[in-house]
Amino acid sequence: MPLWFARGLRRGIVTTRYPARPDSSAAGLPTPPAFRAGMLDHRLADLLVTVCPSRALYRDGDVLQFDVGRCTACGRCQEAAPGAVAPSGEFELAGTSRAAFVKQIPLAPEVGR
Amino acid sequence: MTTLQPRPGTAASLLSAIGGAAPREGDRVVTVPVPAAQLEAAVHHLAAAGARLADLFAADGDQVTLRLVWGLDSERQYLVTETPIDAPEYPPLSDIAPAAFTEECEIYEQFGVRPAGGKPLNRVALPPGAGPDFPRLGHQPQEAPEEVHAPHTVGGQAFEFPFGPVRQAGVESLYYGLVTSGEEIVDLYLFTWHKHRGLEWRLRGRRPAEAMFLAERTEGLSATAISWALAAAVESALGVQPPSGALLTRGIALELERLYNHAAAMAALCQSTGLSVGQAAAEIALERLLRLNAATFGHRYLFGVLDAGGVRRAPDQAALRDGLPGAYGELRRAADALLATNSFMDRLEATGIVTTEQARRLGLVGPVARAAGVPIDGRLDQPTAPYAAYPPALAVRDAGDVLARLRVMLDEAADSVRLIGDLLDAGPAGGTAALPAGGGSGLGWAESSRGEALAWVSLDADGRITRARLRPASVRNWRGFDDAARSQNVFTDIPIIEASFWLTVAGTAR
Amino acid sequence: MAEQVRQRVARQFGRSLHIRTLDTGSCAVCEQEIRLLGAPHYDLHRLGFFFTPAPRHADLLMVTGPMIRAFDVAARKTYEAMPGPKLVVATGACALGGVYQADAFVHGTVDEILPVDVWIPGCPPSPLALLQGLLVAVDRLAEKVSGLTFTADGAER
Repeated sequence: MPLWFARGLRRGIVTTRYPARPDSSAAGLPTPPAFRAGMLDHRLADLLVTVCPSRALYRDGDVLQFDVGRCTACGRCQEAAPGAVAPSGEFELAGTSRAAFVKQIPLAPEVGR
Repeated sequence: MTTLQPRPGTAASLLSAIGGAAPREGDRVVTVPVPAAQLEAAVHHLAAAGARLADLFAADGDQVTLRLVWGLDSERQYLVTETPIDAPEYPPLSDIAPAAFTEECEIYEQFGVRPAGGKPLNRVALPPGAGPDFPRLGHQPQEAPEEVHAPHTVGGQAFEFPFGPVRQAGVESLYYGLVTSGEEIVDLYLFTWHKHRGLEWRLRGRRPAEAMFLAERTEGLSATAISWALAAAVESALGVQPPSGALLTRGIALELERLYNHAAAMAALCQSTGLSVGQAAAEIALERLLRLNAATFGHRYLFGVLDAGGVRRAPDQAALRDGLPGAYGELRRAADALLATNSFMDRLEATGIVTTEQARRLGLVGPVARAAGVPIDGRLDQPTAPYAAYPPALAVRDAGDVLARLRVMLDEAADSVRLIGDLLDAGPAGGTAALPAGGGSGLGWAESSRGEALAWVSLDADGRITRARLRPASVRNWRGFDDAARSQNVFTDIPIIEASFWLTVAGTAR
Repeated sequence: MAEQVRQRVARQFGRSLHIRTLDTGSCAVCEQEIRLLGAPHYDLHRLGFFFTPAPRHADLLMVTGPMIRAFDVAARKTYEAMPGPKLVVATGACALGGVYQADAFVHGTVDEILPVDVWIPGCPPSPLALLQGLLVAVDRLAEKVSGLTFTADGAER
């Protein structure tokens, strides 16, 4: 046991200070996407809906509905539309209302017909 | 192409015994149709020749087709026998190959065909009360399976009690039936139907790319291994070879997966023996390894790395070279301190012994088998790139106890670090090959941290999955857990043995 | 009324909270992240959180997995064995309705069987995300997600 005690002291403290101070280790983790609404038209939105493996995306008319709760941050939507989708960087996502997780992303209006 | 001269114990000798074309030299997987009438003889022949039964599963079609996957490890081949079954019964294979019992139960639940002889079968995947509408891969059995566990008596004084499925904090749900005469474990059996998500059923009709997302989550702690096995099965079915850079990347990811799992098993062993300081030290190492995974591949548990045809991500080589020595050093120092702590070692020695005979009879794989003196390792026995060019060292021990399993894991961890270095130096990483149109069927495998993970897939002409078989190592090795827990072990040994096996319920129940 | 309950919860649980975990069909990775809450890097004890194996002793139920239907009875019994007041935290994408759609195997979301107080997304949610979720559950951190738009056009983030 003295062996362990000495080891522990030498090793020092690795404990995060979160929430008192931000923790930089969060920066490396995958996060749900943020959408550049002006760059998404119906066609692109429909493509994103099909590539999402977790049913987090749904197009309802001129709005892309994004359910952050279902998102696994897999990155497939970003791969499909790299100019229009980027990681949001948000990981503090816990919430008390399920409805608050469903975001409405306005789509670019359809041009020409 | 030359034909092999038949020698005892090879696929060729089986073929000449039952009649059939000789395999092409160099074929990694040999598929042999075996008529139902000759199945029993074929299984006898293979078991006697020392072939290892790696899997048994069925597929639906005009009739049920039974497939047995045999590892011909010393010959670097897999043999798959295919037998159409057009009757409700087939020969009792687990009498010859006890490794097959759980799979026979599973096949009965899903397809309604059972081994002849009337032996009672266990409930495996379907919950009690699953009616005719419950989703199955095939047709409904005539009668529901009944429990095979007979009442035990030890001088009339054993009793049986169920434990779980909700257990202590932070562990998966698992339902044990424990038979005890007080302190000693007389028998231990497991139910896993409460975690059956129907993964194989869900994969039907999907394209390989979509299937990878679910395959990773079969047993998330083996995400790389299982998705590799499925991807390799698809690639074999379609005749695709991933680019060499993709295979190097897969190897790096798989070795990182092995490293963090072994660290996690060590932490769980410390927790099970009540050594909090050791647990803390192991957890520091584990956390560093998970952060290394995130820095290298963008996810702490390596989700989303593999694709059918190659890989979706290339590693951040600088981050990996930078972070690996420190993370592994942390693990090594913790392990050295543990191996010098007598109170800890005393709990591990002679606990949960799996004998060599048990390991072979039950077809166990991975560190559990290697610690019991069975020298199998898929990276050596069935070497595909990158392991053919960069083979690991084989870590084998004899004692078969918890301590032997820990030593095997530590030896493997050291070797994984070396391998990662070699793979990083081997060439550019990443890349993916497009999947051609069309269908076919194929077998894929990868050596997960728990042992051999297998997958078999058949694709229709449209490239969609008609049958995907997922066989994580956990499916094989839980059988060994029952044996390891019996005889000379007491209740408080169960968590220690469970940690040393380091399996998951998710991987078995799927 | 709901606000009074929340304030009472914050007072009672704000200093010390006992957590029971419940796996309703996860892939085992969420459990690994939950175990790491006790690890030196995260140390939930410093925040007054503790794991307990006994439902009678628990204040908060942390639920992973897509609520496999065959697990319903065990889930309800675990919840009912906890004395009030109590909280339920649905943890991980599976528990929130992602990954698996509702079908004959799974409900798909935990709130089909249990009343959920806090939702923590992620696949898996990292230990930091889990800590944030627990702190939101006891009202020691304000939740952020309702104010996030997940759009990136120079609008608020």
